[in-house]
Amino acid sequence: MPALLEIRGLSAGLRGRRSVTPVVSDVDLDVQAGEILGVVGESGCGKSTLAAAIMRLLVPPQVLQSGSMNFRLADGSYDLAQLPARELRQLRWRQLSYIPQGSMNSLNPVLRVERQMTDTLLQHGLTKAEAHKRSVAALELVNLEPKILESYPHELSGGMRQRVIIAAAVSMRPALIVADELTTALDVVTQRQILQELAAIRDELGATIILITHDMGVVAQIADRVAVMYAGKIAELGTVNGIFEAPLHPYSQGLIGSIPRESGQRVEGLPGEAPSPWKYPGGCRFHPRCPEVFAPCNERIPALLPQKPERRVACHLYDAEVAADA
Amino acid sequence: MPDLLTVENLRQLFGGRNPTQAVDDVSFRLPAEPAIVSLVGESGSGKSTIARIILGLLKPTAGRVLYQGVDILTPDRKWNRRFRSEVQAVFQDPYSVYNPVYKAERVLKLVIRKFGLAKTKADAQEQMEEALRAVDLRPEEVLDRHPHQLSGGQRQRLMLARVYLMRPRLIVADEPVSMIDAGMRASFLNILGDFRDRHGISTLFITHDLSTAMYLGGEIIVLYQGRIMEQGETQTVMRSPLHPYAQLLISSIPTPDPRRRWREDLSAAPLAEISAIVADRANRHRCLFADRCPQVMDRCWEARPALLAPKDPGASHARREVACYLYD
Ligand SMILES: Nc1ncnc2c1ncn2[C@@H]1O[C@H](COP(=O)(O)OP(=O)(O)OP(=O)(O)O)[C@@H](O)[C@H]1O
Ligand SMILES: Nc1ncnc2c1ncn2[C@@H]1O[C@H](COP(=O)(O)OP(=O)(O)O)[C@@H](O)[C@H]1O
Ligand code: SF4
Ligand code: SF4
Ligand SMILES: [Mg+2]
Ligand SMILES: [Mg+2]
Repeated sequence: MPALLEIRGLSAGLRGRRSVTPVVSDVDLDVQAGEILGVVGESGCGKSTLAAAIMRLLVPPQVLQSGSMNFRLADGSYDLAQLPARELRQLRWRQLSYIPQGSMNSLNPVLRVERQMTDTLLQHGLTKAEAHKRSVAALELVNLEPKILESYPHELSGGMRQRVIIAAAVSMRPALIVADELTTALDVVTQRQILQELAAIRDELGATIILITHDMGVVAQIADRVAVMYAGKIAELGTVNGIFEAPLHPYSQGLIGSIPRESGQRVEGLPGEAPSPWKYPGGCRFHPRCPEVFAPCNERIPALLPQKPERRVACHLYDAEVAADA
Repeated sequence: MPDLLTVENLRQLFGGRNPTQAVDDVSFRLPAEPAIVSLVGESGSGKSTIARIILGLLKPTAGRVLYQGVDILTPDRKWNRRFRSEVQAVFQDPYSVYNPVYKAERVLKLVIRKFGLAKTKADAQEQMEEALRAVDLRPEEVLDRHPHQLSGGQRQRLMLARVYLMRPRLIVADEPVSMIDAGMRASFLNILGDFRDRHGISTLFITHDLSTAMYLGGEIIVLYQGRIMEQGETQTVMRSPLHPYAQLLISSIPTPDPRRRWREDLSAAPLAEISAIVADRANRHRCLFADRCPQVMDRCWEARPALLAPKDPGASHARREVACYLYD
């Protein structure tokens, strides 16, 4: 089955006075219809930049540099990278919904929830009655009662505000939802409820979800597949079970190896730290921290190549051609 | 020997007519021997308020805090000075603690000077390097840098180096790792373990993140709406929590193992937060978890359950205590 979203060669960066600093580089990623795809990586590795690039919501100095993003809907395909702003606005919200990092704190404090939920629906041409009905239905998906519509944001807990944001994002029944650090600020019980609600929304609406998080636990609990990002590139892509059982990329191995399994068991974190975009090393960007580094790594950029079934890895160790050269 | 820290019946009210009970009759202790005790609870459960009271930054509405048997509000200047050097705070974002125009070297040197820790320049240099080694930082990596040139993990460890210089007996750390990455987190926590084992420094570790508390080991105190629900050895509590709230909390940790996914689906469960609104919030003469508890009984609404050692001998453990009618 063709992917719902097919990203090829996507690069985005920060425009400086003289040049553009790459933040997300040459990302290839297929998002399958109906899946929850987790995108994980350390802080600053470019997850939010990737999300905003997919949504075409980069804010200067961020720029989309190159690449294509083929979004396949029943009524045709669209290249999100090329789509004119007006058509993009048509797709957004209806088919393509975005929950940015920290959005539960972005509700307008002086407006009731109802206004904030229905305004966008009205802008999309719904009548007042329809907008109300849709809002109530969307709130139900996240276990909120209709009476919440009368509340002001400060009357709600963090978990409830985040649910309102989710309800607003799914009220038009979009095909694709991109959620960035959806539950990061919440306690574990609320986090669990919201993630389980999200999975239920996926089942009920048949939506596809890209879930961005730094938390391997969240990915393990709720995602079907996972893309591991390091320094603006995808290091490894595969099913959640596959990657947690047998990570191939040395960075994924380090990430999964640094998870403590039992109380009192000591683990060593990955040595060193992830580089910021101004300091991305040449060759494989992981090479200064990689325990397996060998000859070609500081010069050649590894490509994201298919390995076992359902797995892609960007590491020279698994590239027969490079290994033969070395 | 008196306990290192004794917290007795702390109560903290905020606000006038409709006050928030941020801390509601909380008592616990840290033993004289070096130990790590984690204080866990969701946001708003009163953790930071307790930390501020222990550090003497906030005078509690009621109750008291003893450090080595002496009330911390005691008006003895010499004792106060000792308290302020032996009890050190580490906060969530150390960025705010540093003067942005000072380089790391200056940050450390200031402490050495302020507390008269070194007699000679060479001695100061040596102490500084030892402190950095104790927190896994290479001097050449950080000394010449401003705080904003360091990563979150490096800043946080620099903070620990600063604390280490003063050789405190107790560190009160309020959400110190919530801003740093998983990979970095382990090394920060390992340092606290080393501090305890090699240097005799105890830590009161405050976090909303149970997996961090689990990693640290030691003992755990589970707070809910300003009250202690359960406390005991971390490993025991994590393996077999007794209090229904602790059970919900621990079963909701997102275990990073796809073969051990959450068994029960809470997505269709009635929203606890809704019922909490409906419930009489002001009424605290009850079990505060009653409106969410699957095992709630009539008596749970009538009076607050005391924090007691559980009756069931099978589950008993040295300092295990639970505030739930199921066990008394
Ligand atoms: N508008 C901007 N101006 C300057 N730097 C930026 C901007 N946007 C992103 N960056 C930098 O680009 C890098 C990637 O940022 P991004 O927000 O995508 O990371 P992230 O993986 O989402 O991190 P986190 O987990 O902390 O949310 C970071 O080093 C960040 O500081
Ligand atoms: N200075 C203050 N004035 C009024 N209310 C406060 C103040 N500090 C804390 N609170 C309230 O006390 C409760 C506990 O807060 P806090 O100790 O910060 O919890 P935690 O650190 O566990 O998140 C919350 O309801 C909070 O809003
Ligand atoms: S390409 Fe080389 S440096 Fe990069 S992860 Fe593979 S072995 Fe390590
Ligand atoms: S006291 Fe009652 S309501 Fe409270 S946790 Fe125990 S059983 Fe549940
Ligand atoms: Mg981000
Ligand atoms: Mg706090």
